[in-house]
Amino acid sequence: MISNTNSMFVGKHFLIIDDFQGMRGMLREMLKSFGAKDIDMASNGKEAIASLEQTKYSAVLCDYNLGIGKNGQQILEEAKYRDLIGLSTAWIIITAEKTSDMVVGAAEYMPDDYIIKPVTEATLRGRVEKVMAKKTALHGIEKAISVKDFARAVALCDETLGASKANATDLLRIKTGLLLNMGSYDQAKQVFERILAERDVPWAKTGLAKVAFYMGDAVTARRLLQEVLRENPAYLEAHDWLAKVHEQQGDLDEAQRVLARSTALSPNSYVRQRSLGEIAHKRGDLEAAETAYRKSIKLGEHSILKTPVAHLGLAKLCSASDNPIEALQILKSVGKEFNDQETNFHAKVVEGMVHRKSGDYVAASKAAKEIAEIVQREKNSLPAEVMVEATQLLLETGNKEAAESLVQTIVKNNHENKNLMARVNEVYSQAGMVEEGQNLVENARQEVIEANNRGVTLAKEGKLGEAIEWLRNAKSMLPNNKRILINLANVSVLSMQKNGKNDTLVQEVRECMEKVAKLGADEKWCTQIQNALDAIQKSN
Amino acid sequence: MDNQETTPDISAFLASAIHDMKNSISVLIHFLEDNLSTLDAPAQKQAAPMLYEVKRVNINLIQMLSIYKVGNNFYPFDLTENSIDEFVTEIAAQNQALMDYMGIDLALDYDPDMVWYFDRELVAGVVSHALNNAAHYTNGKLKLSLNEVAGELVIRVEDNGRGYPASVIEAGDAVSKGVSFASGSTGLGLYFSAMVAKLHKNRGKTGSMTLENGGEYGGGCFVLRLP
Repeated sequence: MISNTNSMFVGKHFLIIDDFQGMRGMLREMLKSFGAKDIDMASNGKEAIASLEQTKYSAVLCDYNLGIGKNGQQILEEAKYRDLIGLSTAWIIITAEKTSDMVVGAAEYMPDDYIIKPVTEATLRGRVEKVMAKKTALHGIEKAISVKDFARAVALCDETLGASKANATDLLRIKTGLLLNMGSYDQAKQVFERILAERDVPWAKTGLAKVAFYMGDAVTARRLLQEVLRENPAYLEAHDWLAKVHEQQGDLDEAQRVLARSTALSPNSYVRQRSLGEIAHKRGDLEAAETAYRKSIKLGEHSILKTPVAHLGLAKLCSASDNPIEALQILKSVGKEFNDQETNFHAKVVEGMVHRKSGDYVAASKAAKEIAEIVQREKNSLPAEVMVEATQLLLETGNKEAAESLVQTIVKNNHENKNLMARVNEVYSQAGMVEEGQNLVENARQEVIEANNRGVTLAKEGKLGEAIEWLRNAKSMLPNNKRILINLANVSVLSMQKNGKNDTLVQEVRECMEKVAKLGADEKWCTQIQNALDAIQKSN
Repeated sequence: MDNQETTPDISAFLASAIHDMKNSISVLIHFLEDNLSTLDAPAQKQAAPMLYEVKRVNINLIQMLSIYKVGNNFYPFDLTENSIDEFVTEIAAQNQALMDYMGIDLALDYDPDMVWYFDRELVAGVVSHALNNAAHYTNGKLKLSLNEVAGELVIRVEDNGRGYPASVIEAGDAVSKGVSFASGSTGLGLYFSAMVAKLHKNRGKTGSMTLENGGEYGGGCFVLRLP
């Protein structure tokens, strides 16, 4: 591999990101000696992003610790998030020490490789070549993934695995990740078990835990994750999942404990610090929540992955501890920092709550009015959790009608989500309207069930065209209802099985399944529909 | 009132100082490897030990930081499949300049198709340390071999020097059994190697490290076994 070097470097475009001039010069000299000619350099995150916006690089060598501003990991995250790098761009982080985020962090934002300093010519050349060769070998698979054709990506993984032993671990990890994404848990489980029969591999055992979690066996998931952590106490991904399992099981104490440990392991992770804040907040550990939210906000300053969750949580905490001035300041700044529809809406809801808590009822009513107006226009694009909070404010400020309309939207789009409906009932009960709340929820639920049943009945009678029309109509009114999306996809597949492939329907089914996956996968149906869709596409 | 100054969090300084030092070491090693070849033979022989010393500083830094992190359960232990060919090629290339200047012949013996699960940086740290150490005591010949024996990857670094003194072999045994912490830089290296061995586990088996005399070249043998 080392011998035929020039051909791999000639004609390729490289970017070096390092704040230390001596290192930049040295890396450049090395790349040149391998035959590279086009080499750009950046000394900080800002310059790096500017270069990445201009040019699609073949390979990026990026120092981890860049002083102030973004670190190397955050540049990578932004480059991936904003599609500034292509599928075949090799990203290598250069670092004084390996961190958990680089090796056992979130897979979608991991670098292709990392080099621990000191960087020597031999290491650099070997690693860059290896990663570029791997990127070439996996290009077809990554391309299939990028257009969400997961079934084809899995087939390509199998093909590549069968052809050679090279990149076997990468391929198995990609393949099992895809199977989990598609809801093909049994298949994923088989692969993990085959690997574990040979040896104890932490990622495979973590994978097995994920399967157990998705299949509703939280006890097994927890046991497996604890086993992984006993042998690998710094394994971040297992911490992330264990916290998730505890939270889902309602064991918030344990969830917080695990997250406290994972934030210690990964002190620069904005996302984990935010989760810690949320869990502590839920538990009522306001002190820990405040600390975590504040850290998270600071860490997120340069991160493309930041969300307003920590800001809004902190504003609520300030309000609860009778500090409305800071709460309102935070809400003002969050609007400026994020300035999207969802954030502005959520911030407005929290603002109303802050005013109510501080006794400024005029301001609270004003906020509630604005919310009622926004809800009229945008209710189908707002997240359910935020809408429940809005419902509470609307009820507290006497906007009963607006609250009712909001509850209908919430329930109709989530008629099978028992937790959410319980929360709506709780909000009504706090406002002293237990019965009204229950009736509202139940009626809205029945309405969806009937609409859905009508579609299913039409399909059973063989009136597939009518069924599709009916469900499409239901979908346009309730765009976030999982059951309706699944049924529409299913009836569309049935129709194609009978009448042949139809590109519009294929596209529609894909969109439905993507939406379902986003809302939380539904294993059995997802797999069945996916398989049927694949069969239809192959037969034509 | 308590006027005592609070102790700063030393680990934060440690990490940033190491980040800094690693940059300096990178530049130093690069300079030495590049420029030693421009010297005439006697000057080269005189300057070669500098490369050995810089590498020693680097290895010690890595060992201290790793021991600190493993001890606090912060080390991101990364048990992944590694191509033995890539692993050996990289280590050999990293040490080539030193071997050349010191006039040492490094032989490699491994199956290029083999793959094995281990933490790349930790095991590379152990092997580099063993090679650097052996380079100092050998009589011109070194051998790095990697073979699968009874379900374990056996990594051997052998030299044709006078072998380990009995006290070092005893220290190696004691550190492996966890009954002693030998002092000085020998102690650090042995402790690190034994720690890395013990971190590698598979299906109830644990890795091990031993020091022996003899082997193919009749000198010291450093042996790391990974299940």
